[in-house]
Amino acid sequence: MKKFSIRIATLFLALSLFSCDKQKDGLETPLADFPQVIRLADEGDGDLEDEDKFSFKISLSDRKDPDGDELGGKVVPLEQDVLVSFEVTGFEGFTQLSDFILGAEAFYEIDDCITSLDQGIDLNLTFDVNTGKGQVRFPAGIEEIEIEFETDDGLFDDNDFNTDERSITIQLTGIGATSENVVVNTSGEFVYEVQDDEGIYGEWELDVNDPVAFARFKELFGLINEDILSLDASEVDEITLVFEFEEVKAIVKLVETEIVDDCGSPSVENKEIEIEAEIEELSDDALSGDVEFGELIELGGGLFREFVYKGVFSITGSTLTIELEGEYGDDSTDAIVLTLEK
Amino acid sequence: MLLVCLRAYKYCFCFVNAGLRCVNFVRHRFALKYKKMKSSFFSCLLLALIFSVTADAQQVLVKGRVHDKATGEPLAGATVSVLNANLTTVTDLNGRFFMYMQAKTQQVQFTYLGYRDTTIQVDPATIDGRELRIEMTTGVVQLSGVVVTGFMKGQVKALNQQKNADNIKNVISADQIGRFPDPNAAEALQRVPGVNIERDQGEGRYVLVRGLAPQFTNININGEQIPSPEADVRFVALDAVPSDQLASIEVSKTLTPDMDGDAIGGSVNLITRTAQSTKLQVSSSLAGGYNNLMKKGNVQGQLQFGQRFGQQGKTGLLVNSSYYHNDLGSDNLERAFDDNELELRDYELTRTRLGLSSTLDHRFNANHEVYLRGLYNRFTDREWRRRYVFKPEDDEIEKLTKDRFEAQSITTINLGAKHTFKSFFLNYEGQYSYGEQNTPYDNEIGFIADLASTIQAGDPKFPGIQAAGYTDNTNYELDEAGFGNTLAKDRNLTAKFDLGIPYKINKNNGLLKLGMKWRQKTKSFSITQDYYSPIAGIPDLSNFDEDPIKSSFMKGRYEMGRPLSVASFIRYFNANPAEFEAELEDKAIDEALEAYDAEENVYAAYLMTRQQLRKAVLVAGLRYERTKVNYTSSDVVIDGAGDLQDIIPVSGSSVYDFLLPQVSLRYPLSASTNLRASAVFSYARPNFGEIIPAQEINQEDEEATAGNPALKPVSAFNGDLLAEHYFGNAGLLSGGFFYKRLTDFIYRRVLFNSPYPLTGTPYINSINVIQAQNGNDADLLGFELAFQHHLGFISPGLKPFSLYLNYTYTNSEARIQSRNASASDPNAIEKLRLPGQASHVGNISLAYEKKRFTARASLNFNGEYLSEIGGAPDEDVYVKDRLQLDFSASMALTAKWRLFVETMNLTGQPFEVFMGDKTRLIQREFYSWWGRLGVKFDF
Repeated sequence: MKKFSIRIATLFLALSLFSCDKQKDGLETPLADFPQVIRLADEGDGDLEDEDKFSFKISLSDRKDPDGDELGGKVVPLEQDVLVSFEVTGFEGFTQLSDFILGAEAFYEIDDCITSLDQGIDLNLTFDVNTGKGQVRFPAGIEEIEIEFETDDGLFDDNDFNTDERSITIQLTGIGATSENVVVNTSGEFVYEVQDDEGIYGEWELDVNDPVAFARFKELFGLINEDILSLDASEVDEITLVFEFEEVKAIVKLVETEIVDDCGSPSVENKEIEIEAEIEELSDDALSGDVEFGELIELGGGLFREFVYKGVFSITGSTLTIELEGEYGDDSTDAIVLTLEK
Repeated sequence: MLLVCLRAYKYCFCFVNAGLRCVNFVRHRFALKYKKMKSSFFSCLLLALIFSVTADAQQVLVKGRVHDKATGEPLAGATVSVLNANLTTVTDLNGRFFMYMQAKTQQVQFTYLGYRDTTIQVDPATIDGRELRIEMTTGVVQLSGVVVTGFMKGQVKALNQQKNADNIKNVISADQIGRFPDPNAAEALQRVPGVNIERDQGEGRYVLVRGLAPQFTNININGEQIPSPEADVRFVALDAVPSDQLASIEVSKTLTPDMDGDAIGGSVNLITRTAQSTKLQVSSSLAGGYNNLMKKGNVQGQLQFGQRFGQQGKTGLLVNSSYYHNDLGSDNLERAFDDNELELRDYELTRTRLGLSSTLDHRFNANHEVYLRGLYNRFTDREWRRRYVFKPEDDEIEKLTKDRFEAQSITTINLGAKHTFKSFFLNYEGQYSYGEQNTPYDNEIGFIADLASTIQAGDPKFPGIQAAGYTDNTNYELDEAGFGNTLAKDRNLTAKFDLGIPYKINKNNGLLKLGMKWRQKTKSFSITQDYYSPIAGIPDLSNFDEDPIKSSFMKGRYEMGRPLSVASFIRYFNANPAEFEAELEDKAIDEALEAYDAEENVYAAYLMTRQQLRKAVLVAGLRYERTKVNYTSSDVVIDGAGDLQDIIPVSGSSVYDFLLPQVSLRYPLSASTNLRASAVFSYARPNFGEIIPAQEINQEDEEATAGNPALKPVSAFNGDLLAEHYFGNAGLLSGGFFYKRLTDFIYRRVLFNSPYPLTGTPYINSINVIQAQNGNDADLLGFELAFQHHLGFISPGLKPFSLYLNYTYTNSEARIQSRNASASDPNAIEKLRLPGQASHVGNISLAYEKKRFTARASLNFNGEYLSEIGGAPDEDVYVKDRLQLDFSASMALTAKWRLFVETMNLTGQPFEVFMGDKTRLIQREFYSWWGRLGVKFDF
């Protein structure tokens, strides 16, 4: 009996000890120490076809703020310099890379007025305009570097509306040796698009002296901006609507001026009221189509309200006719037609 | 003397009446409003003490133990009466009793259902402090003529304890638990009248007593509350406790002042086993089983050693261990009607339950003993959840897999002693208990496809889905990967003592009892939660899929395709971290919002009397409990754009006092019939999730949810009236009414256009704040019926059959702020039923027992109940009514070996939830049936 009991007990204890709770079965544990990731800061940019330069930025992914100040995390700079390789992995609308890109330089911002170039800091950029391959030093202690390409501003500049794509694609391809826990994202792409200024892109001007056009503009954008709503035509010097890469701006240049300190060089400039919005939809491959843009407006105290403008446009020669309905919270406008000139 | 008695009774009634008027009072009101009442009450007690002192000099202590003559087993719950002396007591779980008798020779009668009444002559002078040994024999009894068989003894024991208890309670013995196929304590409790359970994956988990949600019932092990391993709540998931660890379960429906006062529904006490015999007793069981849905097996085993050592068996040691391994799963369908979404969920689980318990006790002599009881339970749950989420409005379909491991453990250590002196007894105990829920990993990977889908409304039970290509994994790209781990800890330190002083008023014996308790609770929750989203370059889902776990889902009604393998994905993640970016804001929000620390100190004291009034036993007294709580957590502020604006550390505290008058009366109409009545005040503390100051202020949604540290506990008056009749050795017919009035009922209230924070200088002028608040009350009325008996009274041929029936009806009405309330009419009131209250709850169990064979078919039924109060009446969530059929049978192969088979959920009853009305089914979960076959032996 005693022996039997001991055997049973041993068997049971063994069963219990090796109890199969499957805690480890097929388990893969995710990285405990997630590395620093060097990556492209943006997925793309674009500018008009007569632009003579474009740039892309290399940055680091946000990490948890060691000081706990930035709740959503922040870029924590590297502790060692690292070499980052990049490459033009594709282009459309031209045959040779060197036809478009003439040269390159790399820099980073020290403050709003000074860059590393101003300080004579060399980021050891190398770039072959024939192969499209390059390498640059990402310095320790820096959050972001920018590589700017000089381009041939005459290559695409014509008077035709082009529907074919004209673009250039850049990817990061690797990093040099480092003892830091840092990796590079090689799958992300930066695509620079050449925008046709015969289409919707570019700057369109409203005739401020046309009281009907001015009233319509006030009604449309006064919905979201009280300053615009209370404007008198005599106070306005110029009104433009600017379509840029993924962004629309409505800029009201006032007659009133102010002194602007532009990096130590004071100048007298007109005051401006500017409305910016993100493009949600835009038929940019046609001379007429749909348009929708919107944004959140901060009301203070952490409160926001969203506005959306939605409608259609058509371009005839240098004239843009755009019909928009605005919504701002519970407020809205009827469909309002604006006519603007390039 | 008569005058003094009358005065004492008058004072006692005074304090009861005063107590009925007011129980719950906040601290600052206490001194003024109840000064008079306190004064009366303590005068009463002082008088009682004087009586006791005068009586002590004439009384002597007599102790004894009652055994079954044939087996030597102790008989718990036996009635011990001194004839012609209005003095009765009841044996404890170990068959022991003590009483203070007059110092003269008297007749003492021992009665026990199913046993012959035994009367002996006791002369205290000749006993000389020794423990009496009384042996009772089974046999023909006056009422039923049924002889107790070995297999019925557990039931008899339970009924005896129930019959002789001072309060209204149900007792289930280990033998009785073993008669039903219930592997954990929650499932064992579902057989008790008035008890309903909440299930998880088909297995019982939480207990709802008398139509009240789990937070209204406290859970004890060996008489002391245990901490909850879960983060936000106080109640305990009883699927962590194996039923074969237990000697018995007591469900007290009414309280006495020596019990914790924080129970409105009831108080559940899980009692572990103690060694009884000087012979080594070994019992064990081993079973293997099968889950029909998963086509997988399960294993269950239990082993117990118990023996008393030394010349007189002064030292006892019992060790019990059990292990349960179950591979289970479910097929689940969920709908969100408002969002027009549908989910298919395929669950695969592995659950284990390990239980270890031990009792070491030493009896120095008949009057003094010490004990050390320990219990450790570990419940693990590895879960894979594979699902689709169809979102026709967004033209999106999500495909996700979750892989999570969770281990809940409960440890309790009780060290105590019992001393019986010539004129009083003293019991004291210290307890350490610790509950933990450790989730070392909780990983969920979500992919998403831009695919159109249509949910067809034709069949509400199995809505059709049209979604071309949804099982084609090449359509899915990564949405988000989440990796988390959490740790919830809850620790109790408790110290208490009970002092009992016998006294006598005329010929009526009484016992004055007083005691104190201190309990310190520390509870915390910590979480690490990482989210990663793709930067670019991550392959589609077809690169991470695996074989399905089973060949069909919901009997082939829906296609699940090849599921996502979390392990495969994490291997890719680890090899290619550069393709991911951390979502740090989501991490910060989750971690700050959920983590908290709390400390709670409870100070309690009571004074009560157990007064014999001829046949009747009156238990009356007063319990005082003070609770001091401190919390720290964080406010999370999300701005109007949906971005994290701020995380602000906050702290809170609260203090509340309760003075709880409690009166119970048991009046035996005959030896087999009791009439019981009780009026008891009690309360229930709020869940931690409701009171910790953690807040989420979401200005994008213009809505804030805020904890409420000032939340008062729910207080209640509980009135009970019950009649019970016991049939000989194994039968019962009982019926009774109960009424509960809950004040300061806690509900979720919307404070429209409120400044925020609610106190102090607001930094938000207007926002809708959702907060648990007091202020409304609720009534609950119900009746319970219970019947258990063999069917021999119908016809002798039916004698092998027995019936176990119980039924509970409840009706409730809670008054809350109307969901139609608005800023212009914020105090509009709405009536609804209490969450957790099912109108009908019951059990029907038919057993056949003859010679060596027993078989039992058991039906457990619960009506629909409100599970969650929604934002509007048509958003209220109800758990649908449910009827589960189980079957068990056993055959005694020899006197020591028994073969058994148990099958559960034979009709494949699903778990179903609806919103608003029954046609809007929002969840249906199917489990099929499962069972096991095994052997038990006792040496």
